[in-house]
Amino acid sequence: MTATKLSISGVGKNFGAVRALDRVDLDIAPGEFVTLIGPSGCGKSTLFNMLAGLLEPDAGGTILLDGKPGKLLGRTAFMPQRDLLLPWRNVLDNALLPCEIEGLPRAETRARAEKMAVDFGLRGFEKHFPQQLSGGMRQRVALMRTFMFERDLMLLDEPFGALDALTRSMMQRWLLDIWARYRRTIIFITHDIDEAIFLADRVVVMSARPGRIKLDRRIELPRPRDAHLLTAPEFTAIKRELLDAVEEESLKSFSA
Amino acid sequence: MNRAVILRGILGAVLLIGAWEFSVRFFALPQWILPPPSGILATAWSGRAALLPAAAMTAYEALSGYAIGAVLGVGLAMLLALAAPLRAVLLPMVVAVNSIPVAAYAPLALLWFGTGALSKIIMVAFIVGFTVFLNALDGLTRVDPAAIALLRSFGAGRLRLLWTLRLPAALPSIATGLRISTVRAMIVTLVTEMLGSQLGLGWTIFQAVLLIDFLQVWAAILVASIISLLFFGVVSAIERRVVFWR
Amino acid sequence: MLRAALPILLLFALWEAAVVGLAIDPFYLPSIRVVAAAMQAQSGFYLDAYLVTLAEAALGFAMGGLVGVASALLFTRLPMVKDMVLPIFIVSQTVPVIAFGAIVVLWFGNTLMAKAAIAFYLTFFPVTINTLAGIAAVDARQVALLRSFGAGQGAVMRKLLLPAALPRIFTALRLSASLALAGAIVGEWFGATRGVGAMLLAAMFNEQIVSLWASILVAAAVGGTLFAAVALAERAMVFWREEL
Ligand SMILES: Nc1ncnc2c1ncn2[C@@H]1O[C@H](COP(=O)(O)OP(=O)(O)OP(=O)(O)O)[C@@H](O)[C@H]1O
Ligand SMILES: [Mg+2]
Repeated sequence: MTATKLSISGVGKNFGAVRALDRVDLDIAPGEFVTLIGPSGCGKSTLFNMLAGLLEPDAGGTILLDGKPGKLLGRTAFMPQRDLLLPWRNVLDNALLPCEIEGLPRAETRARAEKMAVDFGLRGFEKHFPQQLSGGMRQRVALMRTFMFERDLMLLDEPFGALDALTRSMMQRWLLDIWARYRRTIIFITHDIDEAIFLADRVVVMSARPGRIKLDRRIELPRPRDAHLLTAPEFTAIKRELLDAVEEESLKSFSA
Repeated sequence: MNRAVILRGILGAVLLIGAWEFSVRFFALPQWILPPPSGILATAWSGRAALLPAAAMTAYEALSGYAIGAVLGVGLAMLLALAAPLRAVLLPMVVAVNSIPVAAYAPLALLWFGTGALSKIIMVAFIVGFTVFLNALDGLTRVDPAAIALLRSFGAGRLRLLWTLRLPAALPSIATGLRISTVRAMIVTLVTEMLGSQLGLGWTIFQAVLLIDFLQVWAAILVASIISLLFFGVVSAIERRVVFWR
Repeated sequence: MLRAALPILLLFALWEAAVVGLAIDPFYLPSIRVVAAAMQAQSGFYLDAYLVTLAEAALGFAMGGLVGVASALLFTRLPMVKDMVLPIFIVSQTVPVIAFGAIVVLWFGNTLMAKAAIAFYLTFFPVTINTLAGIAAVDARQVALLRSFGAGQGAVMRKLLLPAALPRIFTALRLSASLALAGAIVGEWFGATRGVGAMLLAAMFNEQIVSLWASILVAAAVGGTLFAAVALAERAMVFWREEL
């Protein structure tokens, strides 16, 4: 195993005259949980699109997965900002979508999905259709779909952005639980500083557009983490530090 | 739909037919202005020996043309959904041809394919094909780009995208096209039959007009409407079952 | 303008290329040059047909559009009446209405009104139904918001419901444009001496393939005129895109 799972260097992106992403350099170790935070429009989703192989970085940037260059499409498990569940497929079939595209044997993946549905709190809802689910459940189905696509690197774009505060904090603890069990490398975009700190081994703060890495903060809080952590003094200290950085950038993105 | 709404609908229909029957009798309207519903029903019943074969012919032409047109329309749309450059050239031409009313090329079909069933089947297939094609292509190409990106990130290719995402996503518009096409198929069959045929409800109507037999015209319209309504109803019911997520 | 003309020119080019390249029997498809020459030789005759049919179709189409929108607005105000009449409307949509052409000609005689009445009938229903669908699709919370600003029924209608239904109204109008024209043409089959329909019928009975194609082109021109009118009105009135 290589020491770095993902190595991004000098990656930038222009959309016509708009410089969405400046030069991003970032190394991520295997099994690490990294949260990415930054003002709206700073290029977070753009970076993910490039990591997922949906978008080519501008010349000069390189992305190495497992130390090797090459096509990225189909090599990372990508979860977009919206759940994008297909309304004509039930919960299980939605979760099975990536396996079906990969052409994996159906019976086997089905059995695996049925087991995983229990972990994702979807037991008894396997035959339901997305329209019949609550927002939190839909998000869990989308996450399960991402987990079914067994790739070591997972890219989660604001998975809990649309949820209410209560559901959200439950989902956070639950995600940490799942992560501890499945041990994948996760990059997680969020707008919520509490969420960023609570989940992460490392919080990466991006600058206002054109986005670049402004701050890379290691979070050495003990795991497993619970809700009380949010009021602990060491948590608040980190939060103050990050807030300063984020506020500064948010102001910039408004005055720009 | 709740019961009150259904009851009001039935009430409306009963009122309409009642008012029709009543005013025809009360004002003693001549038949050429408006025959009474009872008279139309009686004529349809007593003339059933002649109307039934005509109806069977019309239904046969409309259904065969519909089936051919539906398959061609969806197939062609799927082909063009895969070929964006070809689509950009072909689609405006298809739209231009589609703006010519059916009635204009019906005579052409009769000259080319004779006055038998073939000319009607081809006309229906042509019109249904156009309608379904345009609806299907619209659905196939108007898929959420984010969903396409997601499937591509799982490694899906063009064919996979077409089959797993575009086609199901287009089902509602394809179904709409198929539903609209039922009535159009009947109209085209009748129009082409009016121009020239040996058998069929359109021909019955045309003959009855020439013979100034108004009751017969209304009776034929009644039978054609029943076929059309059945056809529409069956396709709508299938649509509701297939496109359950709407 | 050029964007609209290009596919038509391309079609003509394909037509000519097919005739010359594949040596198609002129009984099936005469050269476009021959058809154009025939149209030019009798330009007054074809122009007359164009104008007559356009007048019939456009008159019925315009009336159908207006009455259709008006009755949809009326139904929105009187839901009881709507529940009673709408099912009849929907069923009558499945009636092959063109069959009524014969009867309407009997009622009105061979007048402009007869064909306009058929075109009216074919436009009226789709426009009513689509306007109602457009109004029904308006978010009830938006209506509530306007009411909370103190808007009355009329204001809600004018400022919210009607504009919200406009995209669908135009969808119906585009659909009915060619239906209205088809209605006018079929209306002319029952004994008319002027108009595209009469020309088509005469050309068919005399097996004059060139004048049949010329008539089809005239029909296309009438259809194109109606379409262009709808498209221009749509561009002027619906400058926003329908949100999905
Ligand atoms: N396909 C595209 N074409 C043109 N501009 C784009 C495209 N995608 C993104 N942009 C622009 O690039 C910038 C960054 O967009 P991006 O979606 O990556 O932001 P983000 O950080 O994910 O924002 P948010 O937090 O609101 O999701 C924005 O200014 C956006 O308008
Ligand atoms: Mg984003």
